[in-house]
Amino acid sequence: MAVRYCTRCVYPSAAATPLTFDEAGVCSGCRVALQKTQIQWDERWKMFEELVSEYRSPNNYDIVIPVSGGKDSYFQTHVATRLLGLKPLLVTYHGNNYLPEGEYNLQRMREVFDCDHVIVKPSVRTLLKMNRLGFKLQGDMNWHAHSGIFTAPIQVALRYKVPLMLWGEHGFLDLAGMYSMHDFVEFTAKHRLEHSLRGYDWYDFTDQGLERLGRPELKEGLTDKDLLFAQYPSDEEIDTVGVRGIYLGNYLDWDGHKSAELVMKEYGWRPAQQPFERTYRMVSNLDDMHENGIHDYLKFVKFGYGRGSDHACKDIRAGRMTRAEGIAMVRKYDHVKPRRDLDRWLAYVSMTEAEFDQICDTFRDPRVWRIENGQWVKDNLWGEPSAYGPVHALPRNWKQ
Amino acid sequence: MLKKRLIPVLLLQNGMLVRSEEFRIHQVIGNPIHEVERFNQWNVDELIYLDISTSDDYDQRRDDHRVKPLTDPLTILDAVSRTCFMPLTWGGRIRTLDDIRERLLRGADKVALNTAAFQTPWIVTEAARQFGSQAIVVSMDVFQLPDGRQEVYIEGGRLPTGLTPEMWAAEIERLGAGEILLQHVQRDGTARGYDLDLISSVSSCTSIPVIACSGVGRYEDYATGIRAGASAVAAANIWHFKEMADRGGKRALAKAGIDVRL
Repeated sequence: MAVRYCTRCVYPSAAATPLTFDEAGVCSGCRVALQKTQIQWDERWKMFEELVSEYRSPNNYDIVIPVSGGKDSYFQTHVATRLLGLKPLLVTYHGNNYLPEGEYNLQRMREVFDCDHVIVKPSVRTLLKMNRLGFKLQGDMNWHAHSGIFTAPIQVALRYKVPLMLWGEHGFLDLAGMYSMHDFVEFTAKHRLEHSLRGYDWYDFTDQGLERLGRPELKEGLTDKDLLFAQYPSDEEIDTVGVRGIYLGNYLDWDGHKSAELVMKEYGWRPAQQPFERTYRMVSNLDDMHENGIHDYLKFVKFGYGRGSDHACKDIRAGRMTRAEGIAMVRKYDHVKPRRDLDRWLAYVSMTEAEFDQICDTFRDPRVWRIENGQWVKDNLWGEPSAYGPVHALPRNWKQ
Repeated sequence: MLKKRLIPVLLLQNGMLVRSEEFRIHQVIGNPIHEVERFNQWNVDELIYLDISTSDDYDQRRDDHRVKPLTDPLTILDAVSRTCFMPLTWGGRIRTLDDIRERLLRGADKVALNTAAFQTPWIVTEAARQFGSQAIVVSMDVFQLPDGRQEVYIEGGRLPTGLTPEMWAAEIERLGAGEILLQHVQRDGTARGYDLDLISSVSSCTSIPVIACSGVGRYEDYATGIRAGASAVAAANIWHFKEMADRGGKRALAKAGIDVRL
């Protein structure tokens, strides 16, 4: 099935998210963005206030807020503390990849918001192993981060018996329109495992797990106890405290761009101080340099697009960019191999670039990529195909 | 008195589970088996699984997932029945007695017929004779006309039949089906609540169990369906949106004084 593109934004059909298209060729992400303009937000806010009031506690934290220290985290905490007067417990998964600006923002949260803050920092040795394994097994060195981000908050919520988690926007709802704004989608173990973690869970990364997967050559010597930070609690444990996770994006007109302006002005939040290699946006993913770097480069390797597309889609839908301007961003950024970021990661995990390139190619998606004259070739959003570098290895299930 | 059942409906379209809205908009929810595993863990009463594909194209989506996609509906049925410990109703694209037999052999406890029940009603009677009424569900899609009248539609809510829901319900029972799954095209996926008048009027025209579906937006909606006369309450989308949707739904029913298996 050939890759198609949304006629309004620049999103491709072969996406990392479960995108769909309507009869006019408009993607589900754009359709949900349009739906947002028709919501009665004052009613939603009332619903939110009522929902939260059931969780106000006389002697405990009222809510857990999962935070990375980014603009969205500041905005969630701003809403919780300043607008609602709640006593939140902030929870962070720290994957050892913070940019200095991101670290600065993170550490300041307990000062500017006067909040308690739990930061979960797994062992660096384990993280190195998880970086390598995530990359080799799933084509994503940041698998550990998705796992930590979607596990640490509920572990802490259970430990402190706080039944409400306040997430920001729902990533797949916002970017891909996976759900409707009328669904009031909540945090689920299923979404974590199936979409955030792509079906893999912590137990696949131990030596035993890799045996079971038929990938014993990847073993790093990890045991169950090394991965306590990634172990999701059982339904029974969750039900005992009654923890649920709601998304603030269902209750107010979420706009990350505006949130960034607000938190810079109100709280001295700092955007990136030097440009990213793979996107023009300076306010996203400061908590993990690889998110906008080689993690995202793998998205290009797999699916043929990247953060340039993601961010252009958001800005087109918000009316800050025309589609033509968006396409220019895609052309400029999506294919870039991020030198600065790649060098850091290769040194961090002790891997050569040749090995990196070879493993990358095992994840090429055949719907996107073809081989011509020893080069990886794909069709482009703007029409004519291009070659994007030499073939180093064939994907695991490549049919020619 | 039998306990009232709470039933998830999973919609399969071209190999993936989808969220549905007004039978027209379908967003991809994900893998066709994973959700069934969750329902097992929750000990769900029953499962209705409907294949709403209109073509045999399978977009496999990303292939870097741990669980690889399956590429035809009967293989998916095999995997679902291997996974699923609860009674399973399989529906969608069933046109002949052989289709019914094959699905029952592959592990479905019941089949749901829709278009075939209208176009070839003798199949309902014959299937009920061969496999028992308890194995034959007729799924009825009700379309809201602009003048306020309601009509039964077939072919995935696209083709009118000229029948009112009440006429068709009585006929379904006469043909020998064991249950009616009652859906409403314009309420589908809108979270506005059930069409209670429809549930009430259809339930009063037949003595076979009516399973109410379409429109659930909150757990509290379930009890209204039971009070309107349904024997069981079903929903599709909400099961994808909330954690432990079974427990949440059952507790809301119990709180409303309805006898359910907790």
